[in-house]
Amino acid sequence: MLTRRDFVLGSGALAVAVSVPFRAEAGAEAAARPPFVTAYLEVSPDGSVKLYSPTTEMGQGTHTGHAVIIADELGVDLERVSVVTAEPADPFRRNGQMGSGGSWGVRAWYQPLRKASAQAREALIAAAAAQWSVPAAECRLERGEVVHAGSQRRQGIGALAAAAAALPLPAEPVLRPKSELRYTGRKVPRVDLPAKVRGEPVFASDVERPNMVYACARLSEVFGAELDGFDRESATAVSGVLDVVAFPGGAAVVATNSWAAIRGAEALRIRFKPTPHDKLDSATISRQMRAGLGDGAQPINARADGDWAAAQAAARRVVAADYEVPYLSHAPMEPWNCTVEFGGDGEVHIWAPVQTQDRNRNAAAAAAGVPVDKIRLHTTLLGGGFGRRLGSDGIAAAVVTAKVVKRPVKFFWRREDEFGQGWYRPAQAARLQAALDADGRVTGLHVRTAGPALSASFSPQGLPAGQLDGSSVSTIRESRYRPAAFHVEWVRVDQPVPMAPWRAVGATQNGYFLECFVDEVARAAGRDPYQLRRELLAHDPRALNVIDTVARAAGWGEPLPKGRARGMAFVESYGSLCAEVAEVSLRDGRPFVHRVVCALDCGSIVLPDGVRSQVEGGIVQGLSAVLGEAVNVAAGAAVERNFDTYSMLRITDAPERIETIIIESGEPMGGVGEPPLPPLAPAVVNALVALTGKSIRELPLSRHRFA
Amino acid sequence: MKITFKVNGESRSVEADPEMPLLWALRDLLGLKGAKYGCGVGACGACTVHVNGRAMRSCAVPLKAVQGDEIRTIEGLGGNHPVQQAWLEEQVPQCGYCQTGQIMQAVALLEKTPQPSSEQIRAGMEGVLCRCGTYPRIEAAVHRAAGAMTTKAEG
Repeated sequence: MLTRRDFVLGSGALAVAVSVPFRAEAGAEAAARPPFVTAYLEVSPDGSVKLYSPTTEMGQGTHTGHAVIIADELGVDLERVSVVTAEPADPFRRNGQMGSGGSWGVRAWYQPLRKASAQAREALIAAAAAQWSVPAAECRLERGEVVHAGSQRRQGIGALAAAAAALPLPAEPVLRPKSELRYTGRKVPRVDLPAKVRGEPVFASDVERPNMVYACARLSEVFGAELDGFDRESATAVSGVLDVVAFPGGAAVVATNSWAAIRGAEALRIRFKPTPHDKLDSATISRQMRAGLGDGAQPINARADGDWAAAQAAARRVVAADYEVPYLSHAPMEPWNCTVEFGGDGEVHIWAPVQTQDRNRNAAAAAAGVPVDKIRLHTTLLGGGFGRRLGSDGIAAAVVTAKVVKRPVKFFWRREDEFGQGWYRPAQAARLQAALDADGRVTGLHVRTAGPALSASFSPQGLPAGQLDGSSVSTIRESRYRPAAFHVEWVRVDQPVPMAPWRAVGATQNGYFLECFVDEVARAAGRDPYQLRRELLAHDPRALNVIDTVARAAGWGEPLPKGRARGMAFVESYGSLCAEVAEVSLRDGRPFVHRVVCALDCGSIVLPDGVRSQVEGGIVQGLSAVLGEAVNVAAGAAVERNFDTYSMLRITDAPERIETIIIESGEPMGGVGEPPLPPLAPAVVNALVALTGKSIRELPLSRHRFA
Repeated sequence: MKITFKVNGESRSVEADPEMPLLWALRDLLGLKGAKYGCGVGACGACTVHVNGRAMRSCAVPLKAVQGDEIRTIEGLGGNHPVQQAWLEEQVPQCGYCQTGQIMQAVALLEKTPQPSSEQIRAGMEGVLCRCGTYPRIEAAVHRAAGAMTTKAEG
């Protein structure tokens, strides 16, 4: 239950609980999910409206989306609404955890926020109607005031909040018609941008506390290696260094400023214990994953529609291809950091850029040796997340350091550790086979992926042997393609490399496997890849509309300038259907993308410009990954340790044009932050294959030479 | 060692290791948090500030090299600079962490090349990384700011 400590309301305020029922997604992980999470909407006596929300703002615009929904349904100016990420408390938890991810931000909250805002509106109107002794039906709420139509009496909602709080909330409030919504569906400026453009200190790394010191971590390079020991004086000899604090997996060099802390961390002579994987390298990982594609491996079934063996036996021809993708780093621009302060009252305050508040708070409490409710976790705006801030691997060391030095500590990782301690997007291999009949129609698909299990590394519970790792087959398992036989399976190939969900998660590699293979099948059958997709989706009008829309807008089939080619891909993830067409040429022997057309059916939308912004971002990040990103492993550690070796897209390689077509099909609202990313890689690769005739089955593209 | 330079028009002195990068002096010693730490090796541009009018990676400029110099940071733009306005009009930032560096780079670019082509914008902005993928909007915002600054200059 909610305690006063968890959630303190100002007196005279109206609070409305917002219950968010989460639709079950396919997969075992969804089954254990409780039915709802709750936020609180508060109308204060000064007329301002605040949403205490468990969602984290990491640049995806969720807080603006929420403010727009509330402003519209309640009937207030957008400027009067603010959204704050609450401290973890029961009402904000989902599955026992508070956090953000899975592109849930707007789609899960749209209806519940509208309902809560409508409840608040009806209660405020009822309070005014009672004061004026008029029927509520004669009153309306607009721009922060309740107005009585007949007498033109008006009263601000702040002055009505206390009276409204004493009234019962209507169970089924009437939502406003679309014509009354002032912001939804229009271009609305993001609420967090003015401060960001002025350079105000909005990030965790900008937090300053009185008497604060700076601690730079020195972590093991080999994945998971434990601290053996260090020579303290090697760091304290550096001017400005105050102390060196040991923690599991490394040490923190504490100093009077960041630079002295970095110098001390670099100077620190530190030893780590050997691990069984001290000699592990990428070639070994690749060999083991590819062995998982062979006959000796033990696959776990994920989908078995129809009879693949029969389709194979009856086929005129079977097309097969093996693919492989590398580990990827999230590389948010803000390296890991947080600020920890032990207060005199036994509470521990932490300012941190995290996506999973409970997971981090629990880790902090264990490290501090205090009950969980003594941890006051303040979530700042995030300097990028992309899944990396779902983890809780960086917070305990910060708490330990602050506890030892007994001063507020700003604890941070260098970029080298942000890369080296990546918790990466999994590497994976796949073998795809298609059975074709005499007319070149696909009668069967067989997909096997092989690689490490994301959930084994990332979930606190791990993954028991014999169980399916959902992300290793996601989007292929649920694919809307309907050949007569469709078999999907996965072979587990454990590796000691830590992994975490990376924007769009399993869809990033699986979308690439399936969509590049569809093009390979089309080529083998001498067919147009767009028409082949139409055939595989013939039963599905919604999906057909998405690929038809993108094909039409991109001018599919129309002539292009010499040296250019188009590629198409269609991937569904997080409740949205997304198709992209990329126009590619070679520039100095390297792929260059001139134009990307994206058709996104996410059901319906709240912020059109926010959706466009996420589509552009997903396309650019997807292009970055396919062109050059890879974390290679040597001697049990990441090879790429900074932006000088990890090749991230620069503006010079960004697409010249991105065109976004948003399809409001009226289907349940889908996610937007992730779905535009997965189709980009296969669209670009398919275009390059069309252009060069060369098979491309390993990423990134920088591994290949193009004439 | 005492090092004196001008920051946003004001004379400031710091007592620090002469090897300390300007970035950390700005952030930790002078309380100017606009320039960000991203890589520490001059490869990402999140720390970009102006030194004597040139965009520099402050994580790679030691204090001893800026003795007597004029430094300009995002805080010195005043908040309503045409580039900042263009950034809002185009709704450029997502997470925003790299954007102060992007804006300082863009201001330097436009001061040198008031009417850049798309190619010149791309070449001029290449040094500043963005992970959220705001490049298309950065390009549009630099064009917009160039238009606004020219109109203003002509007016």
